[in-house]
Amino acid sequence: MTTSKLPKDPYSIVITGVGGQGNVMASRVLANMLVKKGYYVTIGETFGASQRGGSVMSHIRVSNLSAWSPQIPAGKAHLVVALEPIEAIRVLARYGNPDIKVLSNLRPIYPAGVIAGEASYPNEQEIRTILEKHTSKYWLIKATEEAVKLGNPILANVMMVGATCAIGDLPFDRNDFIDAMSQVLSGDKMETNIKAFELGFSLLMK
Amino acid sequence: MSHLLDPKAGATYLLMGNEAIVRGALEAGVNVASGYPGTPSSEIIENLSRIAKERNIYVEWSVNEKVALEVAAAASFAGLRSLCAMKQNGVNVASDFLLHLVYSGTRGGIVLVSCDDPGALSSVNEGESRYFARQLEMPLLEPGNFQEAKDMTKWAFELSEQLKQIVMLRSVTRMSHASGNVSYGALPETKRKAEFKFKGFILDPEEGIITSAPVEWRHKEQQDKIRKAKEIFEESPFNTYEGPDKPELLIITSSACYLYSKEAVEVLNVQDRVGILKLGTTWPLPPKLVTHYLARTEQVMIVEEVIPFMEENVKVLAAEKAGEIGAKKFFGKNEGVLPSVGEMNPDFVISAISSILGIDYSPVSKEYDQSAKLSAFVHAPARDQVFCPGCPHRASFFAIRRAIELDGRNGFVCGDIGCYTMAVRPTGFETLKTVHSMGSGMGLASGFGKLGLFGMDQPTFAVCGDSTFYHAVIPALINAVHNKSNVTLVILDNGGTAMTGFQPHPGQDFNVMGESMPAIDMARICEAIGARVEKRNPLDLEDTLHTLLEMMEDKNGVKVLILSQYCALSPQRRGKKDYELSVDETVCLGEECGCGRFCTRIFRCPGLVWNKEKAKAEIDQVICVGCGVCADICPRGAIKRKEVA
Amino acid sequence: MEEKKLTRGQQEVREKVISLGLCTGCGACINLCPYFRSHRGKTSILFPCTVENGRCFAFCPKIEVDLDNLSLSIFDQPYDGNALGRYRSIFTAKAGEKIKSFEAQAGGTVSSLVYYALTKGYISGAVLTDRRGLEPIPRYVTNAEDVFSCSQSKYTAAPTLAVVNEVVEKGEVNIGVVGTPCQILALAQMKTREKPYPISLSIGLFCTWAIDFRLFEPFISRWIQASHIRKVDIPPPPAEILQIFTSQGEKIEIPLSEIRPLVPKGCAYCMDMTSEFSDISVGVLEGRPDMNTLIVRTERGQKLVDEAIKEGYLIVSDMPKENLEHLLWAAGNKKQRALKRASDENLINCESLSYLRLKGELLNQLTQ
Repeated sequence: MTTSKLPKDPYSIVITGVGGQGNVMASRVLANMLVKKGYYVTIGETFGASQRGGSVMSHIRVSNLSAWSPQIPAGKAHLVVALEPIEAIRVLARYGNPDIKVLSNLRPIYPAGVIAGEASYPNEQEIRTILEKHTSKYWLIKATEEAVKLGNPILANVMMVGATCAIGDLPFDRNDFIDAMSQVLSGDKMETNIKAFELGFSLLMK
Repeated sequence: MSHLLDPKAGATYLLMGNEAIVRGALEAGVNVASGYPGTPSSEIIENLSRIAKERNIYVEWSVNEKVALEVAAAASFAGLRSLCAMKQNGVNVASDFLLHLVYSGTRGGIVLVSCDDPGALSSVNEGESRYFARQLEMPLLEPGNFQEAKDMTKWAFELSEQLKQIVMLRSVTRMSHASGNVSYGALPETKRKAEFKFKGFILDPEEGIITSAPVEWRHKEQQDKIRKAKEIFEESPFNTYEGPDKPELLIITSSACYLYSKEAVEVLNVQDRVGILKLGTTWPLPPKLVTHYLARTEQVMIVEEVIPFMEENVKVLAAEKAGEIGAKKFFGKNEGVLPSVGEMNPDFVISAISSILGIDYSPVSKEYDQSAKLSAFVHAPARDQVFCPGCPHRASFFAIRRAIELDGRNGFVCGDIGCYTMAVRPTGFETLKTVHSMGSGMGLASGFGKLGLFGMDQPTFAVCGDSTFYHAVIPALINAVHNKSNVTLVILDNGGTAMTGFQPHPGQDFNVMGESMPAIDMARICEAIGARVEKRNPLDLEDTLHTLLEMMEDKNGVKVLILSQYCALSPQRRGKKDYELSVDETVCLGEECGCGRFCTRIFRCPGLVWNKEKAKAEIDQVICVGCGVCADICPRGAIKRKEVA
Repeated sequence: MEEKKLTRGQQEVREKVISLGLCTGCGACINLCPYFRSHRGKTSILFPCTVENGRCFAFCPKIEVDLDNLSLSIFDQPYDGNALGRYRSIFTAKAGEKIKSFEAQAGGTVSSLVYYALTKGYISGAVLTDRRGLEPIPRYVTNAEDVFSCSQSKYTAAPTLAVVNEVVEKGEVNIGVVGTPCQILALAQMKTREKPYPISLSIGLFCTWAIDFRLFEPFISRWIQASHIRKVDIPPPPAEILQIFTSQGEKIEIPLSEIRPLVPKGCAYCMDMTSEFSDISVGVLEGRPDMNTLIVRTERGQKLVDEAIKEGYLIVSDMPKENLEHLLWAAGNKKQRALKRASDENLINCESLSYLRLKGELLNQLTQ
């Protein structure tokens, strides 16, 4: 199988969020599309915090050459896809660099310490300032709000995959998405997911 | 059909390491699989159970790891191929049987899969299972990527049959829970018939009896197997070298550390200076192969996780061969260039190589690095792990903590491993004061309960989960009752092995394959042992509290309180709200005297949110699961609970 | 430099009262919030609270008690250090003929007054202290006939004020309270901080010390099961014994010297023997086990006593001089000892939080 050249090889993506947001599902969908296209894909994940309000992170390495480390080296990520905005900020501290791109959902999930009044959460302007300063390009989208309109906040993760497609660094499109999803979903669920993907795509095109 | 059953050789899938191990076992024609749930190993048995019927495999979650290994060994003794999976501390549990098993030897191929957790990402230890291979003298294999995880598992069965010995396959979290491309081999048709043969000559490995005695004779047999393994390993395709003929620095590595080393060499662009010897057969080491590469360099760094196991083994070999190859300079954990705690990553390897080769490396400018770190420090507050919304453990520990404070004698709780371990944190009101291995809370409590002789009058509790109860609590409970230890055991019965994904346990009336099974009633077990037993619903806070207080006053030996309520994520409760919750803002006291934000500051269910602007509590309807407990903790009754029809 | 904010809440109560062992378990901080609870006679803090100006602190009779402030609030006069506190009149007393006979302590004066106050609607309910075995159980009584079941002395420290807080929270008004000096002091602080407070009558008991229930129960179990106890009594001096009457009709006598180690540490710092901030105070009368001493302190108290006498619920006569002298001596003694101890331990008039505040010269005079 011939594969097209990547902007970088390995191309390194961090998908981040909070346990329960569908982080793992988003990284699987993305990786499955790319494996089908003939790339080597390595995903590194931590599962422990997945249902318990902790930060969760998937590292995805895409390559024409081989499997790579399931952990991205410091400062070496190319794209961050964040389902929660302060998780993007957290990722930048370790994996960020001036060339990095960040795509983030705007809906906050407050850490227990913030709910308990022991810590404070940044406002949207503060988030924008930090992303402006530490990325080459960033996009903040209201994925959860749009997902709620579609009937389920969890669809924000699929929306983020659609938006990632719109960034254009990775070689996949709507058809690849349908192809990958049709193995796990059927019927009306499939339809809603395609809608979420398209909506995510269009949010970035605006 | 599961993607793991695709019969097409050459088909490529993205598999999680644990799935790759499953595919390898399928390609080897595994007949029996057993285990006890534990992150990062659980997906192996889970995935096998889903396809068990299609492939005619017997799969079980056993009561604990020792029994699991015995179940797998029985299959081997009967000539079948079997796999046994567990996390690192499980090997300790199984090790007593294992010690004897390696003497007696095995028949059908048997593979012990141990999934270690360096860095304790989902554990309360970062224990090493590799040392068991050396200590118990059995072969050890460690896959270095996802393809190898599949291929090596398949080969491990063949090796086991060749040696008539159990083979240990060791994975780590970053292998088991990472995913990568795996190209399939063919699935065989297996037609093995089980028969235990014992009527042959007593020492006949195929038809005699299977025991660890006569010890010296068996032990010698065992060591002969290790010698044979060395010869086989010399030729193994799982040991590879990449790099220059005469590297300035030779890295010897294995497992996920191979990927970190490869990454580090790539990042530093030192492919022409550094060679990587990746070993898949890490015990016993293949001496000729390792000596061959040691001879070509002056500097050696061993890259592995946690304790310097391979480092020690390579150094022994290098010392033996020093006359042939000369003295080498070693880098690693003993010398200090790499840490011997926590998990490894590419950055540690990058920094180690940089320091050895004198390379000045930083991935980003100092300004960027400092600024990004400062932003995260200030604006991305840490996410403490918390009990889920509606978790019955929150309610249970709320009652236990209050009972202890009301009693006022400085009582404490000994815990063990499960979601409830988080009760050392504010989410469980910092109630747990000891956490060790499965069941050890009860054992410790049994001991504490006897210290009255030395003036101790602190009330002692133990807590355990339902699955843990069957795994390792029963002997400790027997000990406490028999020795008249004055303690209270609280069993947090949430209807399954919740932390690892609701694997069934012997208290339930079904097994992993969904078949109907007799449930072993824990209350009757406790009563039969001689404890006083009470059952409560932890979501009824006051009832639970009063029962606990009353039990603390009861000085007649061991009390057991079973707090039964399904996990909020369980199939029984998930997505079903019993109540609609709302906050009456006109009644909510907020920060005032009489409340002081009790629900959001102390009770801390994630479904409760503090609205700073209004200075009132709110319910996050997306997160709330409608258990209704918060309505009972609000001092003003401002949280309203409406039953969902 | 930023000045450290002076907070008056749970943390201070924990550090300056509970940790120092001054808490007598009076119940003033109980049922106000989810943080303080009483269990088996002991006050516990369940979780940390961060409210900076809490009622727990304001009500507690063992922290920042400003005697002048209190006296001005209750009597419109500053604190003068009198051994019996401020009062209008003092008598000997016992239940009148309208009261049927019941098993009471000494003259039954307290029960008679509460019964009368309830019957005549002077109060709509009374917070009293009942007993389960040896454990004192505070109760809110609205039916006058129930008064008599709470009539006996308990001698064990009780969280009576927890029930006051509970019924105030429920919106009850015209509440009567019978309590020990520490409880009456706390009650006075409640009335001072939150005006108007729905307490219409406070009857104070004489008290030299109470017994820690948690120590008392195992101690007594050497002689008798708690459930077989009918009545506990400490007859007036010079008896120096504690008597236990069993339901089988036996009497057990225990020397007070054996009981004193069971007294909470906090009682040793109490300078009030006669409930100086009550409307009416009642206690034993030396040498007369069938009579009480009655001190009337407020106008409201005076009115109740006058009417009770008039309607035949109470019989009073003049206090014999030697009895008054002895009472003054005993109360003065307790005050001096407590003030001296607290003063020596630097708990009075400190720069930071104190147990007590009173005029410096008065303190000197009282501790000499």
